[in-house]
Amino acid sequence: MSTIADRRIEDAGLEAGIARLTPEKIKKTIEAVLAGECGARLKTYIETCVRCGMCAKACHYYMSHKDPSYAPVGKVKQTMWEIINKKGDVTPEFIHQCAQVAYTECNLCRRCMHYCPLGIDTAYIMSVVRRICHKLGVTPQYIQDTAHSHSATMNQMWVKDDEWIDTLFWQEDEARDEMPNLRIPLDKEGADFMYSVIAPEPKFRTQLIYQAAYIFNAAGLNWTMPSFPGWDNSNMAMFTGDSEIMARIERQHFEAAQRLRVKRIVMGECGHAFRAVYDMGNRWLGWKWHPVPVVHSIEFFWELLTSGKIKIAQKYPGPVTVHDPCNTIRGRGLMDKLREVVNMICDGIVEMHPNREHNYCCCAGGGVINCGPPFKNVRIVGNKIKAEQLKATGVKTCVAPCHNCHGGLDDIIHKFDVGMELKFLGDIIYQCMEKPEAE
Amino acid sequence: MLKKSLMLLAVAAVSLCFFGPAAFSQEDMKNVPNEVFGAPRRPAAVFPHDAHNEKAQIEDCAVCHHGGKDGKMDKEDMTAGTACVECHPVAGAPGQTSLMRAFHKQCVGCHLERKAGPVACGQCHVNK
Amino acid sequence: MNQLYDLAVGPLTWLAIGVFVIGSLYRLAAMYAMAKKKDGPYLTYMSWRFSLRSIMHWITPFGSLGWKENPALTIVTFIFHICLILVPIFLMSHIVLWDQFKGISYPALPDGAADLMSVAVILACLYFIWRRVSDPTVKFVTSCQDWTVLILVLLTFCTGFLSYHQIGSSLVMTTLHILCGEAMLIAIPFTRLSHMIFGLFTRAYIGSEFGNVRKARDW
Repeated sequence: MSTIADRRIEDAGLEAGIARLTPEKIKKTIEAVLAGECGARLKTYIETCVRCGMCAKACHYYMSHKDPSYAPVGKVKQTMWEIINKKGDVTPEFIHQCAQVAYTECNLCRRCMHYCPLGIDTAYIMSVVRRICHKLGVTPQYIQDTAHSHSATMNQMWVKDDEWIDTLFWQEDEARDEMPNLRIPLDKEGADFMYSVIAPEPKFRTQLIYQAAYIFNAAGLNWTMPSFPGWDNSNMAMFTGDSEIMARIERQHFEAAQRLRVKRIVMGECGHAFRAVYDMGNRWLGWKWHPVPVVHSIEFFWELLTSGKIKIAQKYPGPVTVHDPCNTIRGRGLMDKLREVVNMICDGIVEMHPNREHNYCCCAGGGVINCGPPFKNVRIVGNKIKAEQLKATGVKTCVAPCHNCHGGLDDIIHKFDVGMELKFLGDIIYQCMEKPEAE
Repeated sequence: MLKKSLMLLAVAAVSLCFFGPAAFSQEDMKNVPNEVFGAPRRPAAVFPHDAHNEKAQIEDCAVCHHGGKDGKMDKEDMTAGTACVECHPVAGAPGQTSLMRAFHKQCVGCHLERKAGPVACGQCHVNK
Repeated sequence: MNQLYDLAVGPLTWLAIGVFVIGSLYRLAAMYAMAKKKDGPYLTYMSWRFSLRSIMHWITPFGSLGWKENPALTIVTFIFHICLILVPIFLMSHIVLWDQFKGISYPALPDGAADLMSVAVILACLYFIWRRVSDPTVKFVTSCQDWTVLILVLLTFCTGFLSYHQIGSSLVMTTLHILCGEAMLIAIPFTRLSHMIFGLFTRAYIGSEFGNVRKARDW
């Protein structure tokens, strides 16, 4: 049994942040957030929690460490209850602890909602803690850098406008070796859909853009990508607690689609981006639903495969297992379509247990992986349970249609010697589809 | 069948109550008779009639054995000798206070008023 | 003691019921007003269908992942809550008081059943106490208030049990029992016991959000 105080981690962002704090500033900021931004949800959650501890088993951190301070309710106790009990009279060091718990020991995966009889949204409570930390300027350095990038460039990876266009031209050029008339149509008004990706794709996973372009061209689709900011659908500001930047990013993304007059937005295989676009941005901006329909790749590939626009020449060999990303499964209920797609492109599924809405988190999402190297070890050893779950399937391939999940799973696969390769749906579809003859 | 035997039982109980005071000396009365309830769920309430009245300094029978008409209680009308159940049927009806309620109000009501005497369930309905 | 009993069955009862009913209604109304003012983007997703769907799964024993993964607690908690609600309402001794003071009467539980159910509540409280002491996770998050409300329930049922079995002074035990029960009623709107008032709504909200927005199960 430990507490957050026993596992303090040094982080340049957190240290610099708390060095600037005074008790008055902390109290004032906390009061402003609690009184100004929080309402009945937080109040009922804090008040009605009966401290039964049932949620402990929901959390992969708890399941990996069996330490009460990692249980969802334990995290709330070490942060929000304390903040409320002391009416904001807490020390800078305490804010450091809050930040470390909220940013690096909770993935906001919402699995605990399946354990709480009262339906308490612990992820929301942790988001409020993050919001307070953000307003106090106490955020881990690495994730704050991505939020700064969003703020300055409207994308997560400091990709400059010309670099973005250049990267798309480069991938188009590369793919033309394989499919000579392939196009990545930029700013095509009135296209059927706008394809948006996260900034790490042009930055260091360009083959994903290549594959997507190939698949869309082979299927003969009328699509486009914006040449201007709004192309990045990722949103790290959502995870730092910077709701203002979060909303700016989402508005820019939707407005890019509206400017191109597309019928809908198709999003690449990313979970947190989907959460931001589908669930978060619209609320902050005051829209009940989305001004432009939003479709995740899982669903889009399902459409392409079931409508026969893409045909599979030969299924991917060997049974695979499927990882259910929280943001598209608990966040959008795509578990059946995901399985149908995988069954159409692979040689059978060996399920992990628990799975579907009950699946264990990858331990990378929620901005945790973006907090960078200082916290890497915590999230890897904190997800032993997932490694065991993967191992138990006995298969050699895991399909995970989410960037963060890839990052998190890749780390535990290496650390715990799982011996498994990770695939995006796009990887397998590109590899196994019927390809038009190259001339 | 059940109805018939209940009726019989009721008639027997009523006649017992009616002739009871004449047939037996009040000195022998230790409990509020509860046979009329058929299968009572609590032991008969402890009630040593003469000792109670002596202690409570009740001389006038009408304090408890009151009369009444059209659902209105008449403290002047002395009804000793009439069975309680005659006016207070086991199952109450509009204008007729049920027997159990009449007993409870009579006993507990007075005890609360005078701030003396048993009031909690187990004080009267003593388990054997 | 008679006077205390008189106070307890008379004015204090009405005070307790009044505080419970008016307090609960006030808190619900205030919370709803606050939700409308501050949680608009969330309130808008509320749906009867998904609220009830979620509640139905969670009021079914083992009807959700949380219940399945905590089997002992599930069994105890269901027995506890069912008995805790049914016994006070349908206990003959309570109905007799309604009858005596207000002329209200309705069918009662058989004495044996009510007795067993009370024992069940007492045992459940003991289990909860044991859990709060021995389970590290629960111990870590237990605070003074958790003990207060748990002890309050335990005391109410213990004194009720002792009164029924006439162990100890009937008058003292019954008076204590009534006072504890009243304290419990008064505590409901203002302590953790308020999960009785708000629990259905928090569940309903998350059920609505999962059903309406996320198209996924929340059980």
